[in-house]
Amino acid sequence: MTTADRQASRDVVKHSARHEGPQKHIIVFIFSIILTAIAFAAVAAGGVNPAFTVILLLAMAVLQVFVQMGYWMHLKDRGHMMPILFMVGGFFIAGTAIVMALYWVWW
Amino acid sequence: MSATHADGALPQEPEKATLEGRNKVLGFWLFLGGEAVLFGTLFATFLALRNQTNEGPTANELFHLPMTAAATLILLVSSLTSVFAVQALHRHKVAALRVWLMVTVLLGLGFLGLEIYEFADYVTAEKFGMTTSAFSSSFYTLVGFHGAHVAFGVLWISVIIGQLFKKGLTVVTAPKVYVSAMYWHFIDVVWVFIFTVVYLLGKVG
Repeated sequence: MTTADRQASRDVVKHSARHEGPQKHIIVFIFSIILTAIAFAAVAAGGVNPAFTVILLLAMAVLQVFVQMGYWMHLKDRGHMMPILFMVGGFFIAGTAIVMALYWVWW
Repeated sequence: MSATHADGALPQEPEKATLEGRNKVLGFWLFLGGEAVLFGTLFATFLALRNQTNEGPTANELFHLPMTAAATLILLVSSLTSVFAVQALHRHKVAALRVWLMVTVLLGLGFLGLEIYEFADYVTAEKFGMTTSAFSSSFYTLVGFHGAHVAFGVLWISVIIGQLFKKGLTVVTAPKVYVSAMYWHFIDVVWVFIFTVVYLLGKVG
């Protein structure tokens, strides 16, 4: 196999399977817009049970963050175990800090 | 294939082609884990103190949802444009890459302008300063820290655009672009929690 052949076969690979289009990222974007709109609408409408609104808002935020980190930050892709570990570790300590602060101040 | 590389083809994922590039990406994720902890502590402080208004303005009196919605939309669109930047990077289209990064920077500046306008309005018209109450201190610290991250991102990505003009897309510049896009997405992720926890929950009470 000559250098030119190798180059040619590499170019073939490059322009085929590994190039994902923008479609799924636009779907993630529209999904994020919808989740955001639900959250804003629930607050703007008012009159909804406050406890339910709080749970709904947090659910919309967590869902949006999961989707964006998975697709836009590539955490769902192969070879991302260490980044996932770092993020889970970071969020775990962050969550512990929040629980601790609320426990100190509210009780 | 770009003709600007004397040593032949630019590899498929140029940001991960060298050990240095891979280490840079991995190290940056460790940094983002630390950033999550940093913002977590600021959220913890805010959540604990958000009802301590010291007879100053409350969250419900202060916040205007249309402005928060506009800022959210700007930052969400800028996160999408930095996705497009990374896609252009993977296609080795350096001109498109620069354009998407510039759009991202402009949207970041728009977000910053809106936030500065918002803070100036709170301080002057609403008499809601840094020392007004525990709520105001924790609000400005949390949201201001996020704004400072946006400002740093705008400067950082601007410098990378300059490097792309000077050096083109190489295995050295590609990891910088990739890592700055991860940073920008993370800033958007933090904003998702800010508009939910600070602004929307502030309106709910």
